[in-house]
Amino acid sequence: MSRPQPDSSPHCLEFHDVTVAYGRRPVLWNIDLTVDGPGLFGIIGPNGAGKSTLLKAALGLVPLAGGSVQFFGQPLRAVRTRVGYVPQRETVDWDFPVSVFDVVLMGTYARLGWFRRPGPRERELARDCLARVGLADVANRQIGRLSGGQQQRVFLARALAQQADLYFLDEPMAGVDARSQEQIFAVLSALRAAGKLIVVVHHDLRSASEWFDRVALVDMRLIATGPAAEVLTPENLQRTYAGPLDVLDELGRAVARRERTP
Amino acid sequence: MTGPFPLPYNTLVVAGGMAAVGCAAGVVGCLGVLRRRSLAADAASHATLAGVALALAATGRRELPVLLAGGLLTAIGSLVVLVMLRRFTRTREDAATAIVLGVSFGLGITLLSGMTARGIPGSAGLEQFLLGQTAALTAADAMLLGCLSVAAVTLVWVGLKEVVLVAFDAPFAAASGWPVFAIDTALVALLAVMVVVGLPAAGAVLVTALLVIPPSAARQWTDRVATMLVLSGAFGLTAALVGVAISAAVPRLATGPVMVLAAAAIFAASFFLAPKRGVWARWRQQRELQQEWSRAGRDPTQAPTKAAGRSGP
Repeated sequence: MSRPQPDSSPHCLEFHDVTVAYGRRPVLWNIDLTVDGPGLFGIIGPNGAGKSTLLKAALGLVPLAGGSVQFFGQPLRAVRTRVGYVPQRETVDWDFPVSVFDVVLMGTYARLGWFRRPGPRERELARDCLARVGLADVANRQIGRLSGGQQQRVFLARALAQQADLYFLDEPMAGVDARSQEQIFAVLSALRAAGKLIVVVHHDLRSASEWFDRVALVDMRLIATGPAAEVLTPENLQRTYAGPLDVLDELGRAVARRERTP
Repeated sequence: MTGPFPLPYNTLVVAGGMAAVGCAAGVVGCLGVLRRRSLAADAASHATLAGVALALAATGRRELPVLLAGGLLTAIGSLVVLVMLRRFTRTREDAATAIVLGVSFGLGITLLSGMTARGIPGSAGLEQFLLGQTAALTAADAMLLGCLSVAAVTLVWVGLKEVVLVAFDAPFAAASGWPVFAIDTALVALLAVMVVVGLPAAGAVLVTALLVIPPSAARQWTDRVATMLVLSGAFGLTAALVGVAISAAVPRLATGPVMVLAAAAIFAASFFLAPKRGVWARWRQQRELQQEWSRAGRDPTQAPTKAAGRSGP
């Protein structure tokens, strides 16, 4: 039995009624969201809004209390190698005895499978990915001997080595110097140009509208989603960031100004 | 007692076997240290004593493989209890480990001393598993332990890629489809086996030190996992041989403490002398930098160009 589908290709990423709870405390509530590539998609919201949790729920790192997530019309299991991931920088011990190159090589492990070691092809790929993030000259350095921005680019290079079609990045711009931000953004733009979908958890409202094509505003629930310029309105921001209002008004006005300027 | 030279066959085989055990403990221990499972290994090692006593009580046979099999069972049992405590109660990791370690060790000591007091056949001298005594080992026992050690090192080599991936970044490993829990379980099981293999040499109280000190010393010298494994193995081997030799020369001296002290000497040397990470090297780096700064005076454009210490470029 085949249903006629209006669009032959399934969506890149679909959240159906996703609910996540830590114990009895709900973190995400009935998130319904469809994202299609190519493009840069921002998940925006205040601290503790569940942005990172949404990403981890999609990747199966936290259990769903309800709902489901589909990638390219399939469960994650079936398409793992098409999904790349850049976790938050603080999740690892940067004193670990591995070099920059070793870490990037880890991006090739999933395709290699059990017990097979990376060969010349994987090494070539890792070198290429390091060059793309501008870190070819520090390949042999221990990872702790890098700046925060460089560490973030190492993680990005590792994700590039996964050769995915859909990339998840968790706060890639947090604690990163301006030059690294530019470089990361350039790499993500190149991925978009290559037809990939990049989903980025981001907390900084000011840069959101210039970096992302589309965004989702999240604060436990999905507040709004769509093209960045349409979603990042003062009203929506106020609904999302229900904090000190004077600061928010100012931010909202700043975003509105940005929209008006060509 | 035979003279020190030429060494009798049994002594040579025991020394060779213990060298393999020390080496394997160093290698396996690296993964435990990198994945931060050293305390779990410590709990498991203290739990082996109860298993050794129970194995003797249940079978009435005082053969090393039987006793060690019992030790392995209670070691794994203690790890299961540890995982359950953490999952189903709100006990924190360090408290849970301390509870399991204390209770299982108390049980072991009670069984052991109770059996010795009641004169259960074969129970005399079981306390050698407390602190380790290689002089009592037969060549066959040593060969068994040596073979198990070689097997453990082989397993480390086979699964190195997977374990290092999980140890470095478990969320990334999970997101790219690796069964992190299964890999962790395999690692902890291997640690438990290594603890049991090291038991006759180092004893339940000290065997963890052989799994932790050589890797920590090796880490001082290198920033690469592979080099760390090799160095740690060499350090463990050296410590084991020193322990066997000295405890053989001095009557009634337990092997475990000597091994641990030898390992600690290696660690102390590494701590002070290692290039880059050693105390002395860091002190010198600091001083060089200070001198360059003072030469540069107050002009910030003359700042030292050499990247020193752990700072980025």
